[in-house]
Amino acid sequence: MPSCKRLLRLGLLGLVALAVAVPTAAQEAAMPVTGLSGQSLRPYQFVFLAYALAWLLVLGWVVAVARRLARLERRLER
Amino acid sequence: MPSNKLRVGGSAMAVLGVLGILVLHWMVFFWTPTEASMGIIQRIFYIHVPSAWVAFFAFGIVALCGAVYLWLGDERLDHAAASAAEGGMVFTTIVLLTGPLWGRIAWGTYWTWEPRLTLTLLLWFIYLGYFLVRSSTENPERGKRFSAVVGIVGALDIPLIHLSVLWFRSLHPTPVVVKPEGPTLHPDMLLTLAVGLISFTLLFLGVFLQRYTLAVATHLAAVREREARS
Repeated sequence: MPSCKRLLRLGLLGLVALAVAVPTAAQEAAMPVTGLSGQSLRPYQFVFLAYALAWLLVLGWVVAVARRLARLERRLER
Repeated sequence: MPSNKLRVGGSAMAVLGVLGILVLHWMVFFWTPTEASMGIIQRIFYIHVPSAWVAFFAFGIVALCGAVYLWLGDERLDHAAASAAEGGMVFTTIVLLTGPLWGRIAWGTYWTWEPRLTLTLLLWFIYLGYFLVRSSTENPERGKRFSAVVGIVGALDIPLIHLSVLWFRSLHPTPVVVKPEGPTLHPDMLLTLAVGLISFTLLFLGVFLQRYTLAVATHLAAVREREARS
């Protein structure tokens, strides 16, 4: 089932991201929570990364559905 | 192509959802106040929580449609359940990716095996199992029935995820909106969250309807091709 394969691929990508993240967290020293005045640029990068990942995943789903719909329409026309 | 009304309705909802999300981005980055203790990283909240809500909503649809499918055997319910499960997987993945990014700054670690995080990861695996069960059985009808059962059992994890922060000692914050004494969020933050919840729900419903139409049309096309061959 192609839709299933695509979803599995997407899921595995998520798992890989988690798998990369966990050991990195263990290796790095814990970062203390700081007040607004003491913040670095790092939280901004994380916020933008979170929004970008969310958009990418939603866009991936929308594109996957649109492509399958287009393929089906071509199949029905034949 | 059947279900044209559904497709048009789905497209309209998806467009409204995207417009709402654009407004949400403006609110998040230019309007809503910065949370005092966590700072800028708390802004992940406005996509993390709506994604979690949509994931739970989607898996609720999976369980409900699965249960009625087992009872009535109507193919359309199975199509709806599978379409919702696909969206639920996408939004659960968003929750599992945005949460650790927030946690890295707020808690000092990307991941910890505390109850809510572990149960959310379990939910992701349960629905991965939902698709594996569907595609791995020789008899498609049996696969559909098995996956309906997995969907119903998987939905039992949702209340556990919600209540785990109240039942167990947890790093994850307790609810700030759904609580007996009412929301404790700043009104501007609450409004931003509400825009996020509505927009994400509209976007999900829009794409879900398209995906459902696709599943129904694919099924009809396969039936027509079988009939033409025989």
